[in-house]
Amino acid sequence: MDFQAYNKIFICKDEIKNITVKDAVIGYEFKIKYPSYRGTFLSCIEALSFQVDGVEIPKEDVYFCLNNKQFLLDELKDCFKEYWFVRDKATIQVRKAGGISSGKHTVNAFLKHRVPYTGYFGEYLVLDSNVTETLVAE
Amino acid sequence: MSDIKFGITLYSFSTEYIHEKLDLEGVLRKARDMGYKGVEIIPAQMAPEYPYLSDEWINELKGLLDKYELEPICWSAYIDMGIRSDRDLTEEEIIQYTVNDMIYAKKAGFQMVRTQHAISPAIFRKMIPYCKQLDMKLTIEMHHPHHPEVEVWKEYFEIMKGEGKGYLGYVIDFSIYQTMPHQLYLNQALEFGCRPDKLEEIIALHQKKEDTSLKIAAAEQGDFNEIEKHTALEMFGKFSAPAKISQIKDTIDCCFYIHGKFYYLDNDDHDPCIPFEELMKELRDLGYKGYIASEYEGHHFDYTVDSEEQLRHFIALNTKLLEA
Repeated sequence: MDFQAYNKIFICKDEIKNITVKDAVIGYEFKIKYPSYRGTFLSCIEALSFQVDGVEIPKEDVYFCLNNKQFLLDELKDCFKEYWFVRDKATIQVRKAGGISSGKHTVNAFLKHRVPYTGYFGEYLVLDSNVTETLVAE
Repeated sequence: MSDIKFGITLYSFSTEYIHEKLDLEGVLRKARDMGYKGVEIIPAQMAPEYPYLSDEWINELKGLLDKYELEPICWSAYIDMGIRSDRDLTEEEIIQYTVNDMIYAKKAGFQMVRTQHAISPAIFRKMIPYCKQLDMKLTIEMHHPHHPEVEVWKEYFEIMKGEGKGYLGYVIDFSIYQTMPHQLYLNQALEFGCRPDKLEEIIALHQKKEDTSLKIAAAEQGDFNEIEKHTALEMFGKFSAPAKISQIKDTIDCCFYIHGKFYYLDNDDHDPCIPFEELMKELRDLGYKGYIASEYEGHHFDYTVDSEEQLRHFIALNTKLLEA
């Protein structure tokens, strides 16, 4: 199946970092890349969700950060002027009081994305990237 | 001797590029070191500012092409019809993207832009004045699952041979001649859960000289698990109706560039998937003058394969065939 090998770059191996404001730990963040050979427009993302240690993160607790901007997951479908360069890492910020404990965590990312040039006979190719990685929190 | 030259699309190095083993300069250096002269770039892949490119970035690209003594041949553009969630691109938007690509390509020293089938005959025709103004060629790639029998191509060829002559053309991609799944595809099928004996059975079925609908029925009724059924249907759907090599002669005058597509080669002599022997003979006999870009595409299926080694097999195999 085309495109499948690109899933290897989806979840970046970078450490998970806690997000702190003064003394308060308000959440944590990790990084992902677009799993393809070329970049895409954020509007081609049809679904994006995450599980950490087997627990689904509510979408309202997730901020998608790219191109020096922060997006709600529900905003992505409208971002037809935002390009996700294939070598740029998007930061996924998760709001969670107290952040994440140090050590290993299982992160699952699920992306449903439309390949915008594939409508050879009508329908666009819509791909699923479903990847689980073990990441280390600082 | 033929006038055919082998170039390279930098896309061949997708694995190294997306895994950050080689950057833009790295892939250009590698292309030069391998002996290539003519290069093709996909800005949607390698231009960080895409789709709006600054003169600064374009000059950086030009500088690198000069530094490694490479010839800019083809700027590969997209018709990303499905960018928006609510509708397809409008004519104005398609023209905007296409003209921008032609301008950027011109500034970077390229003489040809490759676009895609979705441009539509009406817009393709409207590009002629821009081509003349910028002195640029605009080509549409004929890529699988399209082939010369697809209705819209009749209209495209009419425009290329008529009012767009010399400016508008097409790019043959060898994917349209593929007859067999490649090794990386088969490896992946096993990895995804096909049983080896069942995969053999599916390949044997694929190679049978009978109607595709009968093969599909056999796959649906056979003792196959879900991934085996999926693999069978994909295999019969993708590789059962290759374009006819004998048709190339009808439109060779419109063919400005060729994508020497391949997926996996483990030797310098033969590919069981794409009929290079017949293709090279036909292109040479027809007097095709121009570039065939080496286009390794196995990176869709396996990130552990060394692209350089693949390209070396491709060049060895096809050089031998051209000189035969």
